[in-house]
Amino acid sequence: MERPDSDFNRLVRTLQWVWLGAAILLVGGIISWIIHLIRTAWELGDVPSASIGVSLVAIPIFLVLVSVVLYVFWGLRSDGRER
Amino acid sequence: MADLGDAREDTLLAPIAQTGRGFYWAVALLSVPILWGVIAYSVQFYEGLGVTGLHQPVSWGFYVTNFVFFIGISHAGTLISAILRLSKAEWRRPITRMAEVITCMVLFIGAGQILVDLGRPDRLLNVILHGRYQSPLLWDATSISAYMTASLTYLYLPMIPDIAILRDRLGKRKLFYSVLALGWTGTERQQRVLNRAIAIMAVLVIPIAVSVHSVVSFVFSMTLQPMWHSTIFGPYFVVGAIFSGIAALIVSMIIFRKAYGLQHYLKPIHFRYLGQLLLVMALLWFYFTFAEYLTGYYGGEPEEMRVFWAKFTGPFWPFFWVMVLCNFVIPLICLVRLGRRTIGKVLTASLSIIVGMWLERFIIVVPTLSFPRLPFAEGIYWPTWVEWGETAGSFGLFALFYLLFTKFFPIISIWEIREGREVGLKEVEERLITYLPDEVEGKT
Amino acid sequence: MALWGMVIDLDRCTGCQACVVACKAENNVPAVGEKEAKRERVISWMQVLTETDEEHHGEKMRFIPRPCLQCDDPPCTKVCPVYATYRNPEGIVAQIYARCIGCRFCMAACPYNAKYFNWHTYQKEGPGQNPDVSVRPKGVVEKCTFCHHRLQKARERALAEKRDFDPREYVPACAEACLAQAIVFGDLSDPSSEVAKLARSPRAFKLQEELGTKPKVIYLTEGEGGG
Repeated sequence: MERPDSDFNRLVRTLQWVWLGAAILLVGGIISWIIHLIRTAWELGDVPSASIGVSLVAIPIFLVLVSVVLYVFWGLRSDGRER
Repeated sequence: MADLGDAREDTLLAPIAQTGRGFYWAVALLSVPILWGVIAYSVQFYEGLGVTGLHQPVSWGFYVTNFVFFIGISHAGTLISAILRLSKAEWRRPITRMAEVITCMVLFIGAGQILVDLGRPDRLLNVILHGRYQSPLLWDATSISAYMTASLTYLYLPMIPDIAILRDRLGKRKLFYSVLALGWTGTERQQRVLNRAIAIMAVLVIPIAVSVHSVVSFVFSMTLQPMWHSTIFGPYFVVGAIFSGIAALIVSMIIFRKAYGLQHYLKPIHFRYLGQLLLVMALLWFYFTFAEYLTGYYGGEPEEMRVFWAKFTGPFWPFFWVMVLCNFVIPLICLVRLGRRTIGKVLTASLSIIVGMWLERFIIVVPTLSFPRLPFAEGIYWPTWVEWGETAGSFGLFALFYLLFTKFFPIISIWEIREGREVGLKEVEERLITYLPDEVEGKT
Repeated sequence: MALWGMVIDLDRCTGCQACVVACKAENNVPAVGEKEAKRERVISWMQVLTETDEEHHGEKMRFIPRPCLQCDDPPCTKVCPVYATYRNPEGIVAQIYARCIGCRFCMAACPYNAKYFNWHTYQKEGPGQNPDVSVRPKGVVEKCTFCHHRLQKARERALAEKRDFDPREYVPACAEACLAQAIVFGDLSDPSSEVAKLARSPRAFKLQEELGTKPKVIYLTEGEGGG
């Protein structure tokens, strides 16, 4: 691997963090949206069971997705840096 | 440790390294339907949905048909790629990337169809701010978001080693590829991490994909309308989706095989196996269709029978019987014996199925709406140039996205082919040995 | 809490469509024009359906005025993605034009085809319209509201005059206009009201009752019905 501190590599690393941040923001946004919909249905008394049912499946799926991305990000970069 | 790789792989990197005149011709050709679509939608946005052929009572037509159709095609990719990976089918290696790209690209087009169908697209934010989870449309929104996110991840992760190759060998766009490669150098630990992540995604993506088209079918089956309110819709739509998805995959494989000279990678054996899968799906599709219509016919409920006869002998009979021809008769004739002229037969079957499956979605959406329960005048639906334009534009846009992708990333997974050469052969041999009976101690 | 409902006597209905015209005038229902009408886009909150009698084919016609049936278990409200249609506590299924995104799912779900869509901007606000009813923009769904604005006005009038609100003050335009007095409107939850009494008649039936929508527009069949 090239000199770890070159400007180019620093830029690459920053952009990778931005990339990861965007992914977390996207999934976090979707999960907050789902929770917002549950809250609205609860407050209006409009079949909250539907919202809770869907979110019980959807939210864990999104959490697994973002965990996989985080895992790959951490696993690949930390090993690349060690050498 | 830069990857200097193999001269054999130059064919796979060629489309990214240089751009021939064929590419520009293709883009120019695609811009015609895309322009038509853009003009059509602008007119519709300004004037209202009245520029379409929709009316009372057929208030859903081409756009909803396209929605179901494109979301259906998305099942090609990720589902096939995931299932073939999990079943360790070695012949998947040149196919997985193309399949995954189809899914990602077509999902955007499919979701876009709903946007085009809205009377007030400017109020789209209402779905996010004031969504109701009792409505199947919100189930759609959630599961399609999940599928989009999952398939983008499932496309990206296996691309990382290829992106690293591009980073090291290509010479241009070095920043872009370096960022996306996440520091991949091919160490054992990195390979373990990536393989584990890909395996998790392969398992996760299958139930998500199944849920997506089930939920799309629920938009129809959760209403009380005749020939919509059927319990078979969930599995029926998923089977139809996989069916049309494989067909779309085959067509795109054949096109890129020709355009990029990939004959050494996409061999007749690959098409033969896909053709066999397609045949199985054709039989399965026919079984579901038969079960659905037999149940309706035998029960003989008057309102269901009105829609039934409309499809069999009434105003919709040409669409219905062409659909059966395209989805069942032609594929069966083509795919039953795949010995010679494999690719030609498989291409014919796939093109026929794409037309047939679009007709199938149309036959599901429109006749039920045309024959309302109460004694109204029957509505016959005639699409206008706007709807044809939007459909053409959607196909064109999908093709353009796909084409652009191949300019930035290899359309065949370089590292998976390498893995097949270096590791796959040995693994398969070892696996075969475990299937054979064990040697018993002490006997000669 | 009142439960507003309607009884329509099919023996009295002559098919004159005065109810249709009155409804359109009262609710600013746009005249879509000849071209749009040919394309089957007429908006008619109250519509008179015609059915030929099965026994006397071609001889006898049956006229069925069909407003929104204001179901107690509405299939349309279930499928709306944005709370643009909902059933209010008094049993009226309301339509919120400002929220509607025009997905037309409710139109596909309604087994009575009681919902209509604004395929173009059919009208803008102008003189000659009923100021109590909003003018709908393009791209939204609309339907009969049992002239809900009349209920609000009647209640506010009673409040202003410092007296109790009498349910008989609230009459939708169609019931008011019907020359044969075939349409009776009132509070179904009040067993002494005329509409509740008629709803219990042996001639009473509901359209597509087996679907379980629990419509609150009840029809009285021709002849003596019953036994």
